[in-house]
Amino acid sequence: MVQPVVEIKQLQKHFGKFQALKDITLTVNTGEVFGFIGPNGAGKSTTIRTLLGILKKSGGTATIFGQDVWRDAVAIHKRLAYVPGDVYLWPNLSGGEVIDLFLKLNDQKHSSRTDELIKAFELDVSKKCHTYSKGNRQKVALIAAFSTAADLYIFDEPTSGLDPLMEEIFQQQVLALKAAGKSVLLSSHILSEVEHMCDRIGIIRDGRIIETGTLDDMRQLSRTQVTVTAVKSVKQLADNPAVHGFKQTGDKATFAVDSEALGAVIAALAPLEVKTLQSTPPTLEDLFMRYYNQQEATADEQH
Amino acid sequence: MSNTKYAKTGFLLRIYLRRDWLKIVFWLIGVVGLMAGAAGKFDTLYGSSKAMNSIITTLRTPAMVSLLGPFTASKPYTVANVYAAEMMVFMGLFVAMMNIYFAIHATRTDEDSGVTELVRARAVGRNASLTAAIFELILINLIAGVLEALGLQVSGMSGSNAAGNWLFGFGLAAFGLMFGAFSLLAAQLASSSRGATMLSYLILGVLFVARMGTDVQNTDLTWWTIYGWIEKLDIYGQNIWWPVALMVILIVLIGGLAVRLGATRDVGAGLLPQRAGRRQASVWLRGPLSLIACLERTSTIVWLVALFILGATYGSIFGTAGDLMKTNPTMAKLIGTTAVTQANRTIVLAFANKLVIIFVVLATIPGLITLFRLNRDERNGYFEQLHAKAVSRGQLYFSIAAFGLVSAIVALLLGILGMYAAGAASMGTEALTVGRFMRAFWGYMPALIVTFGIAALLAGLLPKFQNVAWVIPVYGLISLYLGPLLDTPKWATRISPYGWVNRVPIDSVAWGTASWMTVLGLGLIVLGYLAYTHRDLTTN
Repeated sequence: MVQPVVEIKQLQKHFGKFQALKDITLTVNTGEVFGFIGPNGAGKSTTIRTLLGILKKSGGTATIFGQDVWRDAVAIHKRLAYVPGDVYLWPNLSGGEVIDLFLKLNDQKHSSRTDELIKAFELDVSKKCHTYSKGNRQKVALIAAFSTAADLYIFDEPTSGLDPLMEEIFQQQVLALKAAGKSVLLSSHILSEVEHMCDRIGIIRDGRIIETGTLDDMRQLSRTQVTVTAVKSVKQLADNPAVHGFKQTGDKATFAVDSEALGAVIAALAPLEVKTLQSTPPTLEDLFMRYYNQQEATADEQH
Repeated sequence: MSNTKYAKTGFLLRIYLRRDWLKIVFWLIGVVGLMAGAAGKFDTLYGSSKAMNSIITTLRTPAMVSLLGPFTASKPYTVANVYAAEMMVFMGLFVAMMNIYFAIHATRTDEDSGVTELVRARAVGRNASLTAAIFELILINLIAGVLEALGLQVSGMSGSNAAGNWLFGFGLAAFGLMFGAFSLLAAQLASSSRGATMLSYLILGVLFVARMGTDVQNTDLTWWTIYGWIEKLDIYGQNIWWPVALMVILIVLIGGLAVRLGATRDVGAGLLPQRAGRRQASVWLRGPLSLIACLERTSTIVWLVALFILGATYGSIFGTAGDLMKTNPTMAKLIGTTAVTQANRTIVLAFANKLVIIFVVLATIPGLITLFRLNRDERNGYFEQLHAKAVSRGQLYFSIAAFGLVSAIVALLLGILGMYAAGAASMGTEALTVGRFMRAFWGYMPALIVTFGIAALLAGLLPKFQNVAWVIPVYGLISLYLGPLLDTPKWATRISPYGWVNRVPIDSVAWGTASWMTVLGLGLIVLGYLAYTHRDLTTN
């Protein structure tokens, strides 16, 4: 039995009449990297700020390390490191001062690891924060977070201002945390990053978690892209309810198949003297787009 | 315009005016309303010769001369003479503040938020935004000047004349624009809107204090203070126009310098050199309290030193102010040496009572600026990561509140001690004891705590409206200083906590009032904390 680190059940948050979070239920287990994806304004940052006790929940429960995120905020924060999506730093302090301050606020010290990270991220720590670009401010927050010894790391779109080389370093550091058995909650827009690092994924849309699971689980629920050339006509497949987006040029046909019906479709193809067959599992991008379009379609139907 | 450096200036000016029109309207209502409102009331206030004589005696006391400038009119006095003496320096301060606000708002604030960068990327000349800001300031001041003059015309105060009314309006316009020009220059030198605002107020503060000193000691020297030029217009007296020309020359020089500097510097950077920061935090920077101390260090030191210097400036004139032998020799001879000493001391104590009101209101400012960091830094996003650390809201709240309150109290104390120290030096053998002046401290400190408490409750409960608390010190100063001149009723001064204090240091401290006010103030701070811990934090 894996131990949950973060446990959120039916979390709700209202701002006046506006319901930012309607039903958030998810768990992050010990030693896993959990990817939190969704479009702008879906409620990712609101969920994270509620987890940090910055916002007060309107309903449901949320715990970290089994403790209530509002009541026991300080106890939780001793074992946690956080990097926000937009990092703003006191303009008249230097980057080095901010890093050390953040470490000290968790009773930790500037260590050789801090120096290694400063070197790896190539940050000039003697500059005042108001001279930093967005990427450099993010580096300050990342260095402070990675050099903090914590059990849970929360990153809210942490690489939006970083160049590809720095993003690579970020990924290495996250994988190192994972190898060390730490838990990570990573909210991101960069799906390749999530695909590469995350064990499990939660998709949020319009204040609700609409899917959680491993990437493999989700692929099961999704469609496989098939490209086929056959001697006999494959046109009849277009009428199959499990086949979507059927397109034919000459003897070559491309279409998407619901993953659970893949066997049946292959069986239907067998008598048609298949010459080539190519099947591609869905990427996270595909999954993402599909969930979104699907949801929008249902939403439209309801109206 | 053919010169591409100024391309789109007119367009930017229209944008600026559309963006700021509501703010401009509010400032104009404030400035013009104050001018015309007072002008309308002065005839009823000082219509009788008895009221006129008593107000002129008050205006000639050093306390009033230092705050409002000297009373220079010649007999026969008119209501308009009193009005000019009371309003000129005071309104100058008001329009200077308006100009500092708009000058920084139109230049550095946009640069900080990145708007200038977007604008500059368009087909807009390099000098266009600064030039548009200059035109905006000129327009605001001209409109204000015309409306002020018209307001005075309409009020038809006895002794006023058209020449004086228009000189008053355009004098204030030029005077305000002069400080607008200083701020535009400061905006080129400093590297942030906060730095530029601080530099602008530093210039205003130094010139104002210099004027105080010269007005009390020797009004001829006031020429050198720049601020004093507004007194030299001699409105409703000789109506001298040429100081306005002097102001315009200075505006052109300073404004031209600002444009020149603005054309050569980088967007988002200042011309004053930036020091490199520390590579590592000092051992002192380790928690919320030391963080606040570190962030507020420079401005707190400036406030504390400024209050001490202000106190000392006033104290240094105690010797002259409390010299009955000089001001009223007949009476001095009549009552004898011991009684003269006694009378001199009473004059000084009455003076000190008025001064402490200024000190306590000024001391409130650094306190509230620090306190409002609670929501300001939240809105700026600086505190977001702090909240994810092992720092409770209570620690943060009380660190900020404690630092703000203590620096405000120390500022008050230093103002009073500065007054005592310089006063003792200038009064020689007649000097009063430090204990006597400390009455003012113990009397006014509780009022300071209550004001701070109300502000803290507001910051905790209604973060969006925290700035409303600024009304308390502003109203306190106006009601206590100008209230007696405008004949306001007792309850009106009691609205602000400063109005509850008795006449310290003339009277002894009312310990009962002091105690319950202290308890009330501290209680309000705790209530603010309770509200703060039970709400969402402001997010940007």
